[in-house]
Amino acid sequence: MKSSRTLGLVMIAPAAIMIVLFFLMPVVLTAVFSMTNMTTATGISGGVYQIAPNSLIALKSAMPDIAAEMAEPRYTIDDAGLKAVEGLGLAPGIAAELRAKHTGEVFPTRRDVERMIKDLAERPSTREVKQISEQFNRSVLNTRFDSKEQLFSALDSLGFKLTPEQKETVARVTYTGWTWTTDNFSRMATSPDMARVLFNTVLYVALVLMLFNVGYALLLAILTHYMPPTPASIFRGIWLLPRITPVVIYVMLWKWLAWDSGFISILMGKFGYPPKNYLLDNAYNAWLFVVLINGFIGASMGMLVFSSAMKAIPKSQFYASEVDGASRWQQIRYIILPQMRWPILFVTCYQTLSLLASFNEILLATNGGPGNATEVWALSAYHTALRNYAGNLEYGLGAAMALVLVVIGVMLSLLYLRVFSYGTLVAKPLIED
Amino acid sequence: MTILPTLKSLAVAAAILASTSAIALAKDVHISVWAGGTGPNDVYRLDAIEIAAQQLQREAALKGEDLKITVEKKPYSAWEDFKQALTLAAEAKTAPNIVVSGHEDIAPWSQAGLIVPIEDYVDLDSWPLSDIYENLLQIASYNGTVYGIPQDAESRPMFFWKPYMKAIGYSDADLDALPQSVQDGKYTMKNLLEDAKKMQDKGLVQAGYGFYPRTSNGPDYWQFYTSFGGTMEEGGKLVFDKAAMTRTYQFFADAVKSGVTKKNHIGMPGDQWWKEVATGKAGIWDGGTWHYARLVNQEGLKDFFGNVIFTLIPAGEGGKANTLTHPLVYLLTAGHDQEDTEIAAQLVKIASEPRINALHAVKSAHLGISKSESTVEFYSADRWTREATERLLPHANAMPNNSDFGKYWNIMWKNLEASWTGAKTVDAAVGDAESELKSTLGDKIVIR
Repeated sequence: MKSSRTLGLVMIAPAAIMIVLFFLMPVVLTAVFSMTNMTTATGISGGVYQIAPNSLIALKSAMPDIAAEMAEPRYTIDDAGLKAVEGLGLAPGIAAELRAKHTGEVFPTRRDVERMIKDLAERPSTREVKQISEQFNRSVLNTRFDSKEQLFSALDSLGFKLTPEQKETVARVTYTGWTWTTDNFSRMATSPDMARVLFNTVLYVALVLMLFNVGYALLLAILTHYMPPTPASIFRGIWLLPRITPVVIYVMLWKWLAWDSGFISILMGKFGYPPKNYLLDNAYNAWLFVVLINGFIGASMGMLVFSSAMKAIPKSQFYASEVDGASRWQQIRYIILPQMRWPILFVTCYQTLSLLASFNEILLATNGGPGNATEVWALSAYHTALRNYAGNLEYGLGAAMALVLVVIGVMLSLLYLRVFSYGTLVAKPLIED
Repeated sequence: MTILPTLKSLAVAAAILASTSAIALAKDVHISVWAGGTGPNDVYRLDAIEIAAQQLQREAALKGEDLKITVEKKPYSAWEDFKQALTLAAEAKTAPNIVVSGHEDIAPWSQAGLIVPIEDYVDLDSWPLSDIYENLLQIASYNGTVYGIPQDAESRPMFFWKPYMKAIGYSDADLDALPQSVQDGKYTMKNLLEDAKKMQDKGLVQAGYGFYPRTSNGPDYWQFYTSFGGTMEEGGKLVFDKAAMTRTYQFFADAVKSGVTKKNHIGMPGDQWWKEVATGKAGIWDGGTWHYARLVNQEGLKDFFGNVIFTLIPAGEGGKANTLTHPLVYLLTAGHDQEDTEIAAQLVKIASEPRINALHAVKSAHLGISKSESTVEFYSADRWTREATERLLPHANAMPNNSDFGKYWNIMWKNLEASWTGAKTVDAAVGDAESELKSTLGDKIVIR
């Protein structure tokens, strides 16, 4: 018994590893990223400490004198530098000439000292010029330090008298990487645009789900249920087309229909209406198309599930009701719908979650426009984290938005299970055991 | 007779020595280069590196080195895709050696350590780099360090369809004087909306086609903010000028309200926009200098100068006439073998030579990067590059290189789009932008 249990664990191990790697880890990483201020500018893998003119702006208000001193680039031709140049293994005349002609000179910028080096009799190559100038760099400006310790020791060696607190302040303002923060959540909570995006999402999920994925799907299933088998199959086949058409082509067809030069504009032109972009003309139109585009795809799945579920209803119930004189509506109301509870639960639950996360059709059709009117949460998270004209991708905020979606999804699933009393479905049958 | 075997063995020894030294010096280098926003007219962004590779190989051969450079080119037409691909590739340590991107990427990319300063690899005092316009090199710098070499310069003018301007009462002499009039602040944004309305009222263009701006987010919209007196950055800190931003948002809201610009203009298909401005369906529009190449080469507008006149972006209330230059820059990415990066830097340097860069400037209707480029006859003989350089470049501003500018830009654009389409009132849009900027950037932005 014990060994078979161990064997079971071993056999399930590959699947468990896959689940952890591809299902659990992304969620965990999303949660981790959401607690950071990670962007393109901070990088993902971590930062360094760089005292740059830009970062010193923040230091100016706290320690103006030290900030001014740090901002001062200096290249000094001193003995330590000359010895270091001698150790580089370059032509010996270079160090000798520097020592003889330039000892003690101070240059304000790297370009100045490099111009002097380029004028030496034994003109070094560009790479050598850079190597030599670095030996005389007596400032921390624009140098990247991998750790705080390196930064502090550089500050010490350059004679900056800083208290440990001041050093920490310097480290804080000059750190280029990401830090832990809960700002993403407070930004989401306070931003009026986020509230609008959330409202859009609720509207989108509710409309598509109720009108198409469940409502229209159920209607289609019932209609085809009462049709002869062949026309029913053809009818269902047609409704499957949006589902099996590649999404880019499918949305492109809608765009051709609704663009300025599209079918609707040409048709309306016959009646004297000027052409216009019906898809993006106003928020109502955009919503209409977004719901239709997604609804036509989503309806097919519900239709299939509901149709097959209806086939499972014993025919005898319909015959008996016919004998009793039941109308079609009574059959639907008292035979079909009560027995469709679990398929409806499944479709509602599944489609809610997929609608919450789906945005590709909206991205291709309206890209969230006009004026962010059709920007839903998942699309907004994608725009924030991965797509940006200005190039500064906000991974942290995007992850926080994605996490909200995960939490909403889990909460909704639990709610559905409770409303549809999932417990009774998985309860032990009373007649067994 | 006795010397022959000795000679023979010497010859063999020499041959072996020669072959081993050749093997020792032979070097195969693979340089990859990616370019964003690159259409059929911009191929020299990539091809120039290939031409430079030929030159560097010849120079190496003269020094006795057997250098073989393979250049792998990858153009991206859309910016968002390109920036996403590049940043993710760089994070995964698979970035190309050379990247051609907008200068505004220097700040965030250098802070994240994705790019290395090009000044560490090339001598800025030597030709052709010493000849590049100083202001362009400034734009390619961050924190006082030169990170990139300008690949092109451009500016973003306002275009007017000449026949319609004549039809609403402008004489040839008036039109010739228009660029100067805009520059002097006599022809303003208010006049522009009035003229656009006149064109519609006369039935020259359809409703919504009087003023036909860019259909998507882009640097162009910062020009309008400048026009209405806005400042993007001051003393290293970003600036959000509420009054100027209100006037900017109001301008587009007014354009929509008066019917000269379409409410649903943003997001319309780009191809449709190009066709419409090239065929005189629109009256006045803004765009980049490179639009000339697209209009003439792809859109069939053969008599450009007969049909179109271009000026600076006119002044609005509180501001001045301006244009924006948005140079693309050659950048070197981090994480590569030092020698490869050095070769990449040399290729960028050679690609910046006037005659090679002029190929790009003339083909794509961008502007030259160096003083001597305008003395290259091939460049100066081209009417568009000559006139655009003279008329626009002296008045060009640039966007700031600031690692937080991208966040500012997103918030500014999102609310401009909302007020344009009527999703928000102008005041609400400015208010929302202000509160989001405060919560996003804190004291990194001055709000006034």
